[in-house]
Amino acid sequence: MADDEQADVPRYLPENSPGSPDEDPIENARRAGKKNLLQWMEISVAEPEKRTVTSLKVQDTYIVYLIETRITDNSIQSPGDGTTSLWRRYSEFELLRNYLDIMYPHVVVPPLPEKKASYIWQNAPTDKLDPEFVERRRAALEIFLLRCAAHPQLSQDRIFIGFLQKAEGWKDMVYGTEFQSKAESKLKALSASFRLKKSDRKFDELKNYSNEMESNINNLLKIRARMADKLYGIHKIHANYGRVYCEWAGIEKEMASPLQSAGHYMNVYSQSVDSQLEEEEQYADQLKEYMAFAESLRSVCKKFECLQYDLERAEENLSTKSSQKEMLAQGKTGTFSLSGMKSKLFGSDTPEQRAEKIKQLDEQIKQAEIEVERASQETQDYVDSALRDIDRFKRQKVKDLKEIFTNYAVMQIKQCKKGIAIWTSAKDCFQKM
Amino acid sequence: MAETDGQNALESNTTSNGSDFKDPLISGLDHTEDGELESLSLDASGHSYTTVSRSSSLIANLSRYDDLGDDDTKDLFVLVDDPEKHTSTMESYVTFRISTKTTRSEFDDSEYHVRRRYNDFLWLRQRLEEGYPTHLVPPLPEKHSLRRLDRFSPEFLRVRQTALQKFLTRLADHPVLSFDKNFQVFLTAKAWEFNAHKKQGSGIISRMTDSIHNMSASYMMKNRSPEFTILYEYVQSFAEKLGVLDRIAQRVSKEQSDYLLEMCEWGPIYTLWSNSEDQLSNPLLAMSHAVDLSCQALQELVEATEDNFIQPIREYILYTDAIKAVLRKRDAIQMEYDTTIAELNKQKDNKEKVKISDQTYSIGAFLGKDPEDVKQHKQEKLEEQIENLTKQMEQLNDRTVIADTDLRVDMERWHKNMRKDMKELLMDTADRQVQYYEKCLKAWENAIRNIQGKEVSPEIQGQVDMDTKDSQESIQESSDKSSSS
Repeated sequence: MADDEQADVPRYLPENSPGSPDEDPIENARRAGKKNLLQWMEISVAEPEKRTVTSLKVQDTYIVYLIETRITDNSIQSPGDGTTSLWRRYSEFELLRNYLDIMYPHVVVPPLPEKKASYIWQNAPTDKLDPEFVERRRAALEIFLLRCAAHPQLSQDRIFIGFLQKAEGWKDMVYGTEFQSKAESKLKALSASFRLKKSDRKFDELKNYSNEMESNINNLLKIRARMADKLYGIHKIHANYGRVYCEWAGIEKEMASPLQSAGHYMNVYSQSVDSQLEEEEQYADQLKEYMAFAESLRSVCKKFECLQYDLERAEENLSTKSSQKEMLAQGKTGTFSLSGMKSKLFGSDTPEQRAEKIKQLDEQIKQAEIEVERASQETQDYVDSALRDIDRFKRQKVKDLKEIFTNYAVMQIKQCKKGIAIWTSAKDCFQKM
Repeated sequence: MAETDGQNALESNTTSNGSDFKDPLISGLDHTEDGELESLSLDASGHSYTTVSRSSSLIANLSRYDDLGDDDTKDLFVLVDDPEKHTSTMESYVTFRISTKTTRSEFDDSEYHVRRRYNDFLWLRQRLEEGYPTHLVPPLPEKHSLRRLDRFSPEFLRVRQTALQKFLTRLADHPVLSFDKNFQVFLTAKAWEFNAHKKQGSGIISRMTDSIHNMSASYMMKNRSPEFTILYEYVQSFAEKLGVLDRIAQRVSKEQSDYLLEMCEWGPIYTLWSNSEDQLSNPLLAMSHAVDLSCQALQELVEATEDNFIQPIREYILYTDAIKAVLRKRDAIQMEYDTTIAELNKQKDNKEKVKISDQTYSIGAFLGKDPEDVKQHKQEKLEEQIENLTKQMEQLNDRTVIADTDLRVDMERWHKNMRKDMKELLMDTADRQVQYYEKCLKAWENAIRNIQGKEVSPEIQGQVDMDTKDSQESIQESSDKSSSS
């Protein structure tokens, strides 16, 4: 099946949209056969900025991020110079994601970076305004947008595009879709997970897989943070070596100069750990993103369960009605049913009354059959598109994690080479003693 | 040849006592009868050689232990190897084989092989300290190690062997101590002969009173020559620096061990994760493997640091204790000399005083003696005392000069050797760090190959190569920065 656009996704034209479809770059891109946004547009989350807003005598300070887009394919016509830029804050990203999550239930929606930093080494409490935290969040938000823009369906969504380009009134646009009403109630989701009669093996496996992946990455991050603490300690203690070699040089004659130089190298070694740990934070962030993907996977499973739950309820309804008709047609009424009680007290139905009831039931059965048909179709469609997106996710995951692990190995190699260089220089100093 | 002598001694000593246990130090090595002999094998330098090839390999080994490489006049070589454990009902202990090769005429033969235990070394050092109070006697390793609780473990024995080797080599290179009779006996005497010799000689008591006496001398020293004050301060500072190095090394080791504990748990998680993956299984296992190899490399580094850095540093601290002891003895000698001079001057003063004194009211006069006679008598006595004191003073002056010279010469040699030892020690430390990083480097390079499949893309390889250049440049930068700061 082709990567189709969602037929039921509302299309809201941005306010400053061009008058004719010919001038709308999105339309142009679609006609040109572009499958996703990234094929013809560059998106970046650039500088962060601090904003302070005072309302009701309360100061609220928050960070906004500059979102810039630029059309990279010259064949796509667009008004102006093909670039846009606007500011968004984290809560707007959250709104966007909630919208996408609800409106595209079969898609494994990319996760946002965490609200509060966790598993950072040195266990520092996070200040949301801390420049390092802001920078890492900025990078993660960019990845989020790029993943959405690379998705064949998400990238076509007008709200998503509006997020990137519509500076004013985007929030109203989102609320205008009334997407929240389409959300499955939490209670239903809970019931669904417990009361399914027949569940799909694939989704069960997926649920288990996502739990395991989340748990494994969780443990990796926990231990990595502790390792980082220890590694920091090891390097910093070497600064003491630097100091004592210099002091020792002070009481020697021939050994003084080599000892002093060696002392410098101990200090260099001690300082080399800072950049290494910074880089390793990137590795941690990349793993954190995949840990958060587990939740997206589970969400897809949940929605299947809700649909399946609806289907089963519809089937139950149909079978109840059918058996009621059955019983009525055979003239039996159960002793303990309401109609049974009624007939005992007031006498059984007349044939006309019975016929009337049967006719009603027939109507209801027909309705129920239609409902079962619809729910069945909906569930089947959902399963098809969900499995397809899960497949896409898995392929992406393999590619990403291979790259992530390779980058980590490259990082380690770099550190080893640094270590070799420093200690070789130190050895040369000692040679001159 | 010493070996045939040894063999003969073996045969004649098999029935030295009636008990079942044959202490090898008494009866020599008897592999067939004493079933509890355990030969502990170390690496190449410590292998037990068969009788036939002993001499040639001994020569090859001895030349490796040549400390004073530029001194062609070395005529006494000593080698320590082959630790062996001996168990009896009373105790267990280890002996080392001591092999000696020499051309000195004081020795009857040119080659000797004996076995000695740690306590024998203690005895030797004690005798040398007593016999040569003005000379610097090298230190012995501590009797017990706090870290290695098993005194029969191969690592402990290897470290101890190295230390004992250093001790004997330093002695053999010492122009005075190497000619000591006790040393010669230690190197050459057969077991029973050695035991008999040990039983003679002064006990511990005189040693103790010596040091108490010495310490008080140092405190009361007023006019110590600045040369020795400078030396004393240097030794203090040096010992302090070494102590700091020791503590830093221990802290680093502890942090590294903690780091190891965490890292050893990390690798298995990648393996666990690989169980729930399909295409990612191999990359995950590659990560796990690289982490495990890094763990191994670090473990080796930590252990090597303990043996090859911390232990030698501790020994040098013991060496500074030995230097301080000799300094104190030197002070005591000078003290004696100073007191004698003071006494001599006092008596000379007295003599002048008596000359011009009036003895009419002296005790002698009371007893009916002629005051003039009393004066004469007193003058004669003082004359005698002055003569004795002068003789004493001259002797003590000689002693002081000798003590000063001995110490000075020994310190010069010590300083030269210290430089060499420290250079070797520190270069070894740096080298081991380089090796550690090289092991880790290989592990991660392998990991990339396994993660990527067979082909490593040129971009990644380029990144890895670029990093080599970068790291060398940035090292230069940061070292320039810190040297200018």
